[in-house]
Amino acid sequence: MNLWLLLLILAGAYLVAVIENWVVTGRLRLLAPLLAGIALLGRESLVPRLPDRLLFETAPPLLLAAAILSMAVLPLAPGTVLVDLATGALFVNAALAYVMVAVVMAGWGPDAAYAMIGGWRFLGQLVAYSMLIVMPITAVAMRAQSLVTTAIVSSQAPLPNAVAQPLGFLLFFLAAMAVAFLPPFDLPTASDLADGVFGEYTGARLAILRLARLVLVLSLATAVTVFYLGGWLGPLLPPAFWTIVKTLAVAAVMLLGGRYLPRTRSDHLLEWSWKLGIPLALVNIFWVGITLLVVQR
Amino acid sequence: MTVQAGALALFGLAALWFGMAVFRTHSMVRSAFSLLTTMAALGGMFLAMQAEFLGVLQLMMMATEMAIMAIFMMMYMMDPGGLGQMEMTHQKRLSLLAGIVGGLAGLALAVASAWGPVASRVPNPARQTHDLGIELLGRSMLIFETAGVSILVAMIAATTVVISRRHE
Repeated sequence: MNLWLLLLILAGAYLVAVIENWVVTGRLRLLAPLLAGIALLGRESLVPRLPDRLLFETAPPLLLAAAILSMAVLPLAPGTVLVDLATGALFVNAALAYVMVAVVMAGWGPDAAYAMIGGWRFLGQLVAYSMLIVMPITAVAMRAQSLVTTAIVSSQAPLPNAVAQPLGFLLFFLAAMAVAFLPPFDLPTASDLADGVFGEYTGARLAILRLARLVLVLSLATAVTVFYLGGWLGPLLPPAFWTIVKTLAVAAVMLLGGRYLPRTRSDHLLEWSWKLGIPLALVNIFWVGITLLVVQR
Repeated sequence: MTVQAGALALFGLAALWFGMAVFRTHSMVRSAFSLLTTMAALGGMFLAMQAEFLGVLQLMMMATEMAIMAIFMMMYMMDPGGLGQMEMTHQKRLSLLAGIVGGLAGLALAVASAWGPVASRVPNPARQTHDLGIELLGRSMLIFETAGVSILVAMIAATTVVISRRHE
């Protein structure tokens, strides 16, 4: 079953690529990501002059591994999950932390100024988004009384968390976009840095980085689905269908939303998240605590 | 049990190896990432010992902390990439002596301590998380709160110092 789930993750990443292509070009082309992938693999994979070879080579597979690991604990349907950990919600955080490590490595590795600035930018971005990932998940775990991701989905049977904790939902959604460095939070790969951390990679290495980014978007969309949209819960149709539909819808909104917003500045992002985001996340935790203690009892 | 002991030994050796690598490179970034790998290997040791919550927490916290440390090491060192082969060590004899004495003291402590009986039964991971929560909110609360408040005070103090300097 695990192999099938891994293949499903790849298929999901492909669909995310189709959606991304659709959003960017305005045309729905089902074969476009496949052709782009083949073209990338056919190109020479250049190594820049004087790279930190170890970090340069480690970054692409590490990013892919982190994205797959964060996805591994998120359930598709009851009992259908790659790894059902008792600390699943925490594990998602742990895996996502290595996204930043991989991006910083990709920034430092090539010995190129723009890539390096992109890498450090993402470290600053982490300081902005990390609390807004952890704190909303805390509130979600509070409601479920568990860190097990399947229990979190089951806890939403009466009411999805997106309705019960709208503030947490909004913060987590935005923070998830920042983790996947999607527009308007695409600071590490921004055009003003000529693609930043991705700029010095070509050929197969770039193909792995792009695939990793797609799996990351898929993983974060699944996380939003599992933590806030009731995961597999839905009427009539099979549970897995609901998870897939909701995940792809979230991915589409993530990919589409940012395109209509100007790119944020690093300092603005930090200011908003620390002066506004974290107080709101605290309010969310208080809100959930109060509703748990007073309303649901 | 044998697989578990093997995994524990493997992660332990990896932690030691990367711990040494921290000091064997001139690049600050490599040094920071080596330390991160050491800490991640310690997380692996927790997982091998079936302490799931602690293992995952270690993996999560250290990735962020070590990367932030890397940027400070970059900012404050004169040769952060190590390309200049700049010598950044000093007081070598004293360091060597302190290292040997500290290492032997740690080893003696590990060997001489009465560790108590080996746990024959491990509570399930969910139970461990629950027990840890109760521990943190009970007996150990004062320690953690003291540490937390101290760190907060230090952060506020550091920020105040920086802000007042900027106005000068």
